[in-house]
Amino acid sequence: MKVLKNTFLLAISVLALNFVPADSVRAQQLDTAGLTHPSKDSWPSYHGDYSGRRHSSLTQITTQNVGNLGLAWVFQTGQNATIKSSPLLVDGILYFTVPDNVWAIDARSGHQVWHYTYPPNKGLHLGQRGVAVYKDSVYMLAPDAHLVSLNIKDGTVRWNVVVADSSKGYWTTHPPVVVGNHLIVGVGGDMDNLPAFIKAYDPETGAMQWEWDATPPSGTPNATTGGTTWMPGTYDPELNLIYWGTGNPTPVLNGKTRPGDDLYTCSIVALNPDTGKLVWAFQVSPHDTHDWDAVEIPVLVDGTFDGKPRKMLMQASRNGYFFVLDRTNGKNLLTTTFGPVNWTSGVDKEGRPIPNPDKEPAPDGRFIAPDEGGLTNYRSPSFDPKTGLFIVDAHPSYSIYFAKPADGSYGWAGADYGLWGKGVLEAIDYKTGKIRWTHELGPHGSGAGVLTTDSGLTFTGDAHGNVLALDTSDGKTLWHAGSGSPMQSSPITYELDGRQYVIMGSGGVLFAWALPEDSIKGEHHALSTK
Amino acid sequence: MKISTTLAFVIVAAGFFVYQYRQAPIYAASSGSSGAKQAEQASSAKPQAHTSTPSEVGVTVFQENCSFCHGREAEGGETGPDLTRSKLVLSDSGGNKISVIVRNGTPDARMPRFEFSAQEMDGLVAFIHAQAAKAAAQVGGRRGVDVDDLQTGNAEAGKQYFNSNCASCHSPTGDLAGIASRYKGLDLEKQMLYPENVRSKVTVTLPSGQKVAGTLAYLDEFTVALQDASGTYRSWKISNVKYSVDSPVNGHVDLFSKYTDADIHNLMAYLQTLK
Repeated sequence: MKVLKNTFLLAISVLALNFVPADSVRAQQLDTAGLTHPSKDSWPSYHGDYSGRRHSSLTQITTQNVGNLGLAWVFQTGQNATIKSSPLLVDGILYFTVPDNVWAIDARSGHQVWHYTYPPNKGLHLGQRGVAVYKDSVYMLAPDAHLVSLNIKDGTVRWNVVVADSSKGYWTTHPPVVVGNHLIVGVGGDMDNLPAFIKAYDPETGAMQWEWDATPPSGTPNATTGGTTWMPGTYDPELNLIYWGTGNPTPVLNGKTRPGDDLYTCSIVALNPDTGKLVWAFQVSPHDTHDWDAVEIPVLVDGTFDGKPRKMLMQASRNGYFFVLDRTNGKNLLTTTFGPVNWTSGVDKEGRPIPNPDKEPAPDGRFIAPDEGGLTNYRSPSFDPKTGLFIVDAHPSYSIYFAKPADGSYGWAGADYGLWGKGVLEAIDYKTGKIRWTHELGPHGSGAGVLTTDSGLTFTGDAHGNVLALDTSDGKTLWHAGSGSPMQSSPITYELDGRQYVIMGSGGVLFAWALPEDSIKGEHHALSTK
Repeated sequence: MKISTTLAFVIVAAGFFVYQYRQAPIYAASSGSSGAKQAEQASSAKPQAHTSTPSEVGVTVFQENCSFCHGREAEGGETGPDLTRSKLVLSDSGGNKISVIVRNGTPDARMPRFEFSAQEMDGLVAFIHAQAAKAAAQVGGRRGVDVDDLQTGNAEAGKQYFNSNCASCHSPTGDLAGIASRYKGLDLEKQMLYPENVRSKVTVTLPSGQKVAGTLAYLDEFTVALQDASGTYRSWKISNVKYSVDSPVNGHVDLFSKYTDADIHNLMAYLQTLK
């Protein structure tokens, strides 16, 4: 009877949807349209949409009612690993990970639909930042640098291909990015002098389509290796360009064997997603010797700059600089620091920081700001279109960097020690680079990503394990809850059955926050009687 | 006796590590639970096929979980310190200190906690000790920060810097007397720049006007807590009280934006005279 009733309801809703073909209702497979224009009951890719703004148009939870936010459910992984993934929501099911584990859980109730465990492997189990979904598959990158396709219905393996040789020192941690008929993936591995790349695979078959190399092969004289590509990029469908950050050069702290700028390490690159051809590149840290990857999210914003409409790309980078670029050509519009930075002797005419040779690691130590973790790291910032604020988890910090001949020229090739740091949420006005407000997050730094909503809310977490809802206009706290562990992931939000949820991972637990159901019904009633 | 036992264990483990490192990886479970026992068996007997030794288990555990931060050779990497020079590692006996840190993480949560089986933990401990022994046995050209590396400053210039910037809180004949005997090399430099685990004082004023003073135990934007003179933990919602924190250590933070590298090297040279 239940089946019949559901069928009847389905039929009614099909009628209500102006005769949408039944197929599209039954098999709501995620396709390019769903990725490009996500519905409010989905969070179909790492950033929520292709722009990387991690901003939602949802407005049920407001600055007025957020104080009533409570738990809808929690999901316990029962795993020791910290959740670093940003969950996806597709067709009412959330997909998220820790290393070697993928879960599909019901987004309404938090109960498990399926759980996939990857076989024991010797890859680096550093973290897993999430999966990609396309049509009937879930795609995961494994610690041993394999790309795995899972059946979305039950988590069974469709195919497993090798992206890179983990025995050489490669690993993977991030979700692939789906663009058209391409699964675009990067790679980690800076403990060895290895070249890095971005590759595209066929979502159906796992066949490789193209490869773009960030650096030349190991052993090329006077050339760098490295430039790992360990975070998901962003995409502009109109320009048909993907934007991806590349990591530090190797050897890491010793730059002597790799003179010059070390292209394309520590860079933001724009590639054609169909061919893998480089269209432009902007180097954020020329000749890096401090491990400051430029893989932080390249956030795509359309707006005005200096009074002119612009297609922009913004990055708050690990090296301490905030950049605004014209994303059609990579030309720099703004370069400014967003916290203490002491390693440069200025900014060149192209807007790139100029590394001060006296601040390269040395045998007796060099005092460096920020520390090696950087002024920010991989957790997502958020761009709020109404206020024009770029909101980022900043980490003002100081450290000492050492390198001497005995440290060699392979892998890390030096030593660095953090001295002090703290977490500060900063709201940067992109037009000027000025910081409009700050919100202290506690000692050592928070590690939580940021989500903003159209109702003027900013969600993040502090260094103590409190999850926070702030007023986007001034950074004041409106709601908080202790989660037991500092967040190491970025929040998401969606609306299901008329109820808005905010999902935050903390420790090994996924928390779903929502307004009380009776208060939502009340609001709906109030709206309908107006 | 304890030291010599530990040393013997380290040498045995180190010897075996060097041995096994040349072998192809072997995947098999081991029935043993004592790292020292396993290492002894392994080093005294001929290698047993299809039996993982502690170091072998330890290599895998370390490479998968620890190497990113502490480096493949445990000589330091991204964020994590050089374990082969770690005071804690060097004072560890059979895992009594290492396992506590591994299971709990560091108090500041910069190192996460890990749950390993007893066999994995034994292997991890054996591997770390083996690496420390290997590094210590290296004559000259050792990687990492040596005391000798930190001798480039000018003590007289350092003294002048001290008198202008540090003397309002510190005294070479008072709190810093003998500091160079208590800390050396990198430990001294880190302590000089930002001393760790310095507790702040806090005074909380209750709605009644009563003041409660103690050592700051916790502070976020919602809760303040202290440990009073009797050792009792007490906390309050910040919205209900007034409080003031006294953190003299913040004087170190105030200097960060002013230091040159020469200031630090000179100050280091001066502090090393305070033996």
